[in-house]
Amino acid sequence: MEQLILASGACDPANDIICKPDNVIELFQFEDNLFAIGPWGITRTVFLILLAMVIVVTLLYFGLRKRRMVPSKFGITIESIMEFVRDDIAVGIIGPEGVKYYPWLLSLFMFLLIGNLFEVTPFVNFPITSRMAIAGGLSLLTWVIFVLVGFKKNGFRYVGALIWPTTVPIALRPLVGLIEFVSTFLLRPLTLAVRLFANMVAGHLMLTLLLVSGWVFMSSVGEIGARALIGVPWFVFGLGIFVFEIIVAVLQAYIFTLLSAVYVESSIHIEH
Amino acid sequence: MLFVLTQVMFLLQEPVPISEPVEEEAGGIQLLLPHPDELIAGLLAFVIIFFFVWKWAAPALNKTLEARQAKIRAEYEAAEAAKVEAESLLGDYREQVAGAQDEATAIVDEARVAGEQVKADIVARAESEAEQIKSRAHDEILGERERVAGELRREVADLSITVAEKVVETNLDDDLQRQLVDRYIDELGGVH
Repeated sequence: MEQLILASGACDPANDIICKPDNVIELFQFEDNLFAIGPWGITRTVFLILLAMVIVVTLLYFGLRKRRMVPSKFGITIESIMEFVRDDIAVGIIGPEGVKYYPWLLSLFMFLLIGNLFEVTPFVNFPITSRMAIAGGLSLLTWVIFVLVGFKKNGFRYVGALIWPTTVPIALRPLVGLIEFVSTFLLRPLTLAVRLFANMVAGHLMLTLLLVSGWVFMSSVGEIGARALIGVPWFVFGLGIFVFEIIVAVLQAYIFTLLSAVYVESSIHIEH
Repeated sequence: MLFVLTQVMFLLQEPVPISEPVEEEAGGIQLLLPHPDELIAGLLAFVIIFFFVWKWAAPALNKTLEARQAKIRAEYEAAEAAKVEAESLLGDYREQVAGAQDEATAIVDEARVAGEQVKADIVARAESEAEQIKSRAHDEILGERERVAGELRREVADLSITVAEKVVETNLDDDLQRQLVDRYIDELGGVH
């Protein structure tokens, strides 16, 4: 990472100049393959995505493996998460029929939670959800699901109720209908994706910037003398942000899942 | 605030090279575009998680919860039954204890009555015995008195005879007679 900060040829640590990387994508895109499975090269990001999947499956497996009358602490944690997603998100938002959507919502929540927490996981330090492939892909999936549910439950009345909302004064209906249509079919997947993606990108950038730069300053004490102290508040602030990012990681996973449930609910109950 | 400050320092220290803005822009857009490999990997990973949750985790949780529910219900019912049994047992014991108490009271009462009876008997017997002793003593005293009176009478008679004999035997002058009478009286007093 030090190299990323000091990458540019114009930068010379001996001259006390710290440079930003040429391109911000360097912080988010790993081009080199870690290894290859047959024709598929596995980059660090792809590896982390698969690792997140393995972690989620493992957590669930070990949390539920033994059916105990009195579950272990770990078992209780896993059960609580599952019950929370089922009772508070799926059934709480969608209603009794929400149970049907609970495996999808739970998968979403767990995958996003682990993916987000990678941001603050030592030696990983990279949220896979800061990749548009994950944030965008999952919100596209949500979009497909809520649109399909809308058509399945209400047929074409689904679109009809959206573009001609009868609860609104007639003069406003075309305008509100247009806004509703655009917001539902175009903006929802976009905002869902960007909310998660931007939060994770920003978090990763802040942490990288503060911690790495702080560390670079402090570790160059031999070359730049007392000026290395500037790295201390920088680093400490980075640690503060680190704690904050843990909250953000959990919160964003929750919000994404919650909004997915809300969208499905609004596709089922089109009357409001 | 500090962050902004450091940001500013960061920018100021930078040599601001006007280096390849095209690539910079490409970087920004690249960041927003999904990388195909990652998209495939992400969807694959999600689908695997989904199938695992759908086919195994959610049913497993359900079964666990149902089993727990059944067990708790069974234990609750068992506890309820045990409680009812305990309550009936308690009732029985209470009745038994109450019966035992009544019995004890009856026994004590009986004993008290018997004791009173015995006491009354003893007192009555003692009184009658005392009465007997008293009357016997009285009789004895009376007998003794009569015997003594008889003896006395005999003694007086003997003495009178003796005195009469002595009077007859001797010529008695007046003084002597008086002496004799006095002696007789003295002797009478001595008898008493």
